[in-house]
Amino acid sequence: MTRRRLFAAAACLLLLGTGGALAKVKLPAASTDPAAANAPARAIAIGWLGLTNDPRHAPVYAYTRTELRPADDPVAGAEMGIADEKTIADASGLAVTLDRHQAPDAAGLVAALNAMAKAGERFVLVDLPGDLLGAVAAQAKSLDLTLINVSAPDNSLRDLCDAKLLHTAASDRMETDALVQFLRVHNWNNILVLEGQAPRDKAFGDSFAASAARLRLNVVATRSFTLKRDPANREANNAALLTGGVDYDVVFIADSDGEFARYLPFTTQLPRPLIGSAGLVPSAWNWTFERYGAPQVNSRFIKATGRHMSGADWAAWVAARTVVDAYARAGTPDPNAVDAYLRSDQLRADGSKGVTLDYRPWDGQMRQPILLGTEDAVIDVAPLSAFQHQFNTLDTLGEDEPEHKCP
Amino acid sequence: MTGAIRNALGAALAALVLYASPALGAGTGLVFVSNEKSNEVVVYDKNFDRVTSIPTSRRPRDMHFNPDHTLLYVSCGDDDQIDVIDVKTLKVVGSIPTGPSPEMFQLAPDGKHFFVSDEEDSRVEELEIATGKDVLDVPTGPEPEGVMPTPDGKTLYVTAEAADMVHVIDLGSGKVVKNIIVGTRPRRFILTPDGKELWVSCELSSEVDVIDRATNTVTSQLTFVPPGFREEDVTPVGMTITKDGSKAILTLGRSNHVAIVDTRTKQVLGYVLVGSRPWGVDLTKDEKTAVVTNGLSDDITIVDMQSMKPVKSVPAGRTPHSVIIDD
Repeated sequence: MTRRRLFAAAACLLLLGTGGALAKVKLPAASTDPAAANAPARAIAIGWLGLTNDPRHAPVYAYTRTELRPADDPVAGAEMGIADEKTIADASGLAVTLDRHQAPDAAGLVAALNAMAKAGERFVLVDLPGDLLGAVAAQAKSLDLTLINVSAPDNSLRDLCDAKLLHTAASDRMETDALVQFLRVHNWNNILVLEGQAPRDKAFGDSFAASAARLRLNVVATRSFTLKRDPANREANNAALLTGGVDYDVVFIADSDGEFARYLPFTTQLPRPLIGSAGLVPSAWNWTFERYGAPQVNSRFIKATGRHMSGADWAAWVAARTVVDAYARAGTPDPNAVDAYLRSDQLRADGSKGVTLDYRPWDGQMRQPILLGTEDAVIDVAPLSAFQHQFNTLDTLGEDEPEHKCP
Repeated sequence: MTGAIRNALGAALAALVLYASPALGAGTGLVFVSNEKSNEVVVYDKNFDRVTSIPTSRRPRDMHFNPDHTLLYVSCGDDDQIDVIDVKTLKVVGSIPTGPSPEMFQLAPDGKHFFVSDEEDSRVEELEIATGKDVLDVPTGPEPEGVMPTPDGKTLYVTAEAADMVHVIDLGSGKVVKNIIVGTRPRRFILTPDGKELWVSCELSSEVDVIDRATNTVTSQLTFVPPGFREEDVTPVGMTITKDGSKAILTLGRSNHVAIVDTRTKQVLGYVLVGSRPWGVDLTKDEKTAVVTNGLSDDITIVDMQSMKPVKSVPAGRTPHSVIIDD
């Protein structure tokens, strides 16, 4: 019986009138005396795999070189995660380092994974665009590695049923489920969906449609937009026409490029709020989050990097933390046992989002709250309190076990 | 609320006032509640009627009296100092600079020093109160919070929230002599009066770990699940213990309850429904009443310890953090 089910049973007993708190089993001996523990620390290298010159992390410049966002390689999150875990690593006799590899293409990335496996590394944090990650993971199946996806939101990666692949990046589906919960609570039931031309836009839009269907919201129309100002195509490039001729409570826009979404607020035909890529944006993290120790995480990150922590930075940070935590708490240096601990509900990871986090057994996705934020405020945190679940309310976000199907 | 319940509460309150008032010669009877977001300490009389509000520096959190209860110290996290309140005039009369973002603190047994955890700076410092001088600085894991000096003044325990760690610091050498890995996000301590057990609340692993001080190891993990809740809804933070060490009161955060626990058997005597996200708790001197701060409902709940029932809730400022009673 899992720990959590065990407690459910214990809680039932409690209701029946035994009335006692449960004193649990003793911890494995896990404290150290720094004076006595001068034995050399065991070296653990955690791998990092990134794409050379990844366009997702390049600085975002608008026209005339106005910088909208600085370069934001999430490796900084992993480095901070390891630094934050130094105390627990020291106490457990571990010396943890990050072994960073980059390559420009799938062949180079697979070669890098081979090198990491050969060097005895077991856990690799992977920061790749979704399609590339899928290709690389398929070619690395024979390696004794656990890959942790820190930046690709693609739902399709969660449906690969690749037992070696975990995800700390929030999936599109988790983010769109979070938005839909918010809409449902506000009774904003009619939605105009706008999608860009990029495959990512279609994926985000499809995910929103699936989330809306789950909570029975009404998508009144799905339209695609373009930045090209061809007068013959004004239904797709003029904001008023694009949002006219139909009534709706809110506009959902999927725009991975961001330029169209940037100019959409206040230009819709009807005075309606925006969600998705502009307005109320779902993310694994927000730099203004005020609760659960988040201000300390944000200020450490700003101190280390000079920029705000993004969702991918957070995902890399929490991935590194869970790996070190698993090494420290598994009670054995055996990598298989560490891996088993990491995937079990023994893991009670702290991501400064107010609840403990662990990995879903069915698709390797880390359960986590999603923050719904504007540029400088967190408006709400999903799962919203109105949403309940028979096992874990975090499973109201993303594909739940009964919905999950392997290809 | 039905009339019957209101009458019952009224009767309970009347009883409370009756036994709270006499025989407590010392102290003003005032109840002080710090409020993180409204930058004030709200003061109530012993009937929990609001007396005044004392404006403080920004983000007031933990509070302690000096040994003769003439001064109240309040750590103010966003101004990096501990404000000093005159208990007679109910005004801030000074401040003592600390490291960045002071959170929880304790007076040393000599009453002349503070031990302060500096949340943003990952260290615990010892300050001489009279001079404000920093006499000891010990680096900790990230986000230190709970501090607990032992009565003999030889040892200091500190939690590092983001490192899941309790540091054991030898105050003679100023060095960490032992690190104890505990549950996830360890917050605060209580020490049993016999000095044998140190309890540490682990907010995110929903447990209170009991550390045996003789060996400085975790000997048991206690979980508290009020009826109708799941373990992950339970986020223990603040705790207090009776003078004889027989009962502890634990605030359970997200589950909006406090647990009253028999410290010897480690059995729950009762769960009490309070407000939203209770963190702070203090007992009146006669230990018949507990006062709990509810950080997300901006109020305090008064709990009758005998019946283990809430008596009433009273509005506080914004995000009430800690409560301390001068009786």
